[in-house]
Amino acid sequence: MSKIKLTMLVLGGLLIGNANLYAAPIPEVDAPEVTVSGDAVETEPPANTASTKEDETPITRSELQGVRSEIAVLSDQLTRQLTRTIANSNRALLISGTLQNRYSATTWQNTSPYNITPGFSFNSAILSLSGNLKKDYEEGKNIDYAVGLSAAGSVNPTKTVTGTNTYAMTVTAATFQPTDAYLRYSILPSLSIDQPYLYIQLGQQKRPFGVEPQATEDKQPAINLATFSGPTGLNLSARDIGLQLKGDLFPIVDLGYNLRTPTIEYALGVFNGTGPNQLENNRSKDFAARINFNAPVEYNSDFRGLTIGSSFSTGKQDLAVINNPSQFISGGSGKASKVRYGGDISYVASPIGFTAEYAVGRDEQALSAKNAYATALTTTTQSSGYTLTLFYEWGEQFQKDYRSQSRSDDWWPKTYQPFVRFDHWDPNTAVAGNETTVLTAGFNFFFAQTTKLQLNYTVSDNKLTNLKENDFILQFQYGF
Amino acid sequence: MKHWIKLLPIVSLLFMSVSVQAADKPSVIRFGLVGNAFGKPYTGGPLGYINEYGLLEKEFAKDGIKIELSYFTGAGPAVNEAIASGLDDFGNVGDLVVVVGKSGGLKVKYILATGQGNNTYIQVNPASGIKTLKDLKGKRIGVNKGTYIHLGLDRILDGVGLTEKDVKLVNLNAGDANNALATNGVDAIASSADRPVVDQGIAKLLYDTRKDVKYQSSPGGLLVSESFAKKYPEITKRVVKVFIKGQYWASQEQNREKQLILGLKTGSSYKNSKDDIADQDLKKKYNPQITAGVEKKYLEIEDFALAHSIIRRKFNLDTLFDKSYTEAALKELGLQNYWEK
Repeated sequence: MSKIKLTMLVLGGLLIGNANLYAAPIPEVDAPEVTVSGDAVETEPPANTASTKEDETPITRSELQGVRSEIAVLSDQLTRQLTRTIANSNRALLISGTLQNRYSATTWQNTSPYNITPGFSFNSAILSLSGNLKKDYEEGKNIDYAVGLSAAGSVNPTKTVTGTNTYAMTVTAATFQPTDAYLRYSILPSLSIDQPYLYIQLGQQKRPFGVEPQATEDKQPAINLATFSGPTGLNLSARDIGLQLKGDLFPIVDLGYNLRTPTIEYALGVFNGTGPNQLENNRSKDFAARINFNAPVEYNSDFRGLTIGSSFSTGKQDLAVINNPSQFISGGSGKASKVRYGGDISYVASPIGFTAEYAVGRDEQALSAKNAYATALTTTTQSSGYTLTLFYEWGEQFQKDYRSQSRSDDWWPKTYQPFVRFDHWDPNTAVAGNETTVLTAGFNFFFAQTTKLQLNYTVSDNKLTNLKENDFILQFQYGF
Repeated sequence: MKHWIKLLPIVSLLFMSVSVQAADKPSVIRFGLVGNAFGKPYTGGPLGYINEYGLLEKEFAKDGIKIELSYFTGAGPAVNEAIASGLDDFGNVGDLVVVVGKSGGLKVKYILATGQGNNTYIQVNPASGIKTLKDLKGKRIGVNKGTYIHLGLDRILDGVGLTEKDVKLVNLNAGDANNALATNGVDAIASSADRPVVDQGIAKLLYDTRKDVKYQSSPGGLLVSESFAKKYPEITKRVVKVFIKGQYWASQEQNREKQLILGLKTGSSYKNSKDDIADQDLKKKYNPQITAGVEKKYLEIEDFALAHSIIRRKFNLDTLFDKSYTEAALKELGLQNYWEK
């Protein structure tokens, strides 16, 4: 039975139970107000003394029966709603979603006329289902699941390099594709916040690398990914299919604020290395590992939110021709080495914070397409990228417990977050003058609990294609 | 590079958009309050009276100052977080919350004793086989850590020769604890007087502190952020005056029934609430003064919390208490001799 139904039944039971158990007099309050007169405190007499007498009169059996009848009617309505209009599932299920609508425009370009047409677009729609397959009441060794479906497609215009200074728009229809699809088992007990946690995850998931690459779509700070993290860089934010161990050690718990900070967090995984929704295409596997150290401090420390991390991954890929990654060498399937490593430091605090990440890629590539794998001459191309994001924020959105309030009205917590980001990407460090830089000034306005308006202004310079342009993007991200 | 210069005005505008507030009076006074198990934005006792009749709003209406009340389901620790983050100016919390917050460096002053003698109830699942307090050994106990109930539970365990290490504490807020008890998620829970799962006959009440005064809570406190008190001392005193009015009203025996009825808005059971304070002297319960007795109790809590690893370090209690607001407010109200010192 779903959690909603169980809760409603419990509430219904409570209503009836309370009515049956307590037939005590519950008169209206006619409280005298305390007033100040000079230096003294006086209490005003009750305005209606008759009502006080009435308050002390017990209700009759018939009145009690009337209350019971009303509750029975409510109970009946509730039961009918449960069977007719409330969704059900075999196990606990949380349904959530994120949608993104955009307006983008190029405000300046060093080519004329501008190649990008301003317009509205629907960027993505993500439907997420998560829940619990087994709940271990004894030790919290639960089995959880997560499934995500994303209709991203390329509804948002994308630019494809077809030659120097030549751009084309590639627009494809949006189709739903799985994003997350994994099971998670808690190997260690998870009931005590002062003990270390360890999970194993099987399925399609984010690989353990860096900070931004692991951020899910709804948590990414800027509208566009940092170049090293995206598909035109090392594509580290892409999901992969495999097995991952994630855990932490030496948690610091500050009971005064419900804060748990693990001193060390680690992750180790083995993946196909072929990306999301793809079958394995070679015998080798990718291995990825990440470790990060969080400042082991309590809530009020200035160092709370400081994290230093390092990531590494290695694997094999199809041997491709240098400068033409889509042209593969015959017999070179799964034979070329692929190494990624990087470091990051972040300080996620309020009101000021920053994140800085650096990543390096080393890819074995063929010097030409003339020879098959057995006789191919290869080289290792090193690429690198880094990004630095500074932000300032004020508001309630990021205070964990502040969001959980009892209120009689709907609540619109607001947070304002201006930021600047510098992004640098060098696809081949051995070649000069081929870098891409992107400077972004942005403003995130979070309102309601799951909604944000993002304004990004980017100034980009691609030296490889000699294209410079400034873009304005407005994105409305909302969820449920 | 020159194109980037175009960004400068935008960046400047973004950062300049941080508003600067006038210094003479706040536009709003924000209170962090402990939410209840039923998720309703109400509270009982003196504060229930203050809120019901809008005493805070009336006090500051002439100044154009708004009042914001936040009821946190995360209870006292959430109030601490809100004050530490600058999102709330005042907090009304229990004894242990004060101690763990201050021990962790929370920049607040305890300016008013809001009410003492809160009881801790131990409810058990009949299937757990728990018959006595000693049977709690090795069992899963749900409790909202960092709250006065957590302290009450530790003291109760201590009384039968057990510590937290002898049981499995599960950190749950009040609502989740009730659900966990009902669904066998835990063997027992420590709670306030609210016990809907017992009322339904699903769980049983094992023990409560109504007869054991030594395990009842010490006076909870009205906290004010140091920065707010320093910036607005007169406003702070007026807030204290309103709270004292509420406690004066609640301390009178003739208003016992009425405050119980006000408390029904929280979703609490009338009978349970009535029984909870049946043996208590309301005047003593709602004494707002920071007496030597209060200070002594907090010293004991600090020592107990340190010995039981609830806090990691002691702090100087002199940095916590500030009696000046209460003393001034009591004098202005002519109540300086109403309560026992």
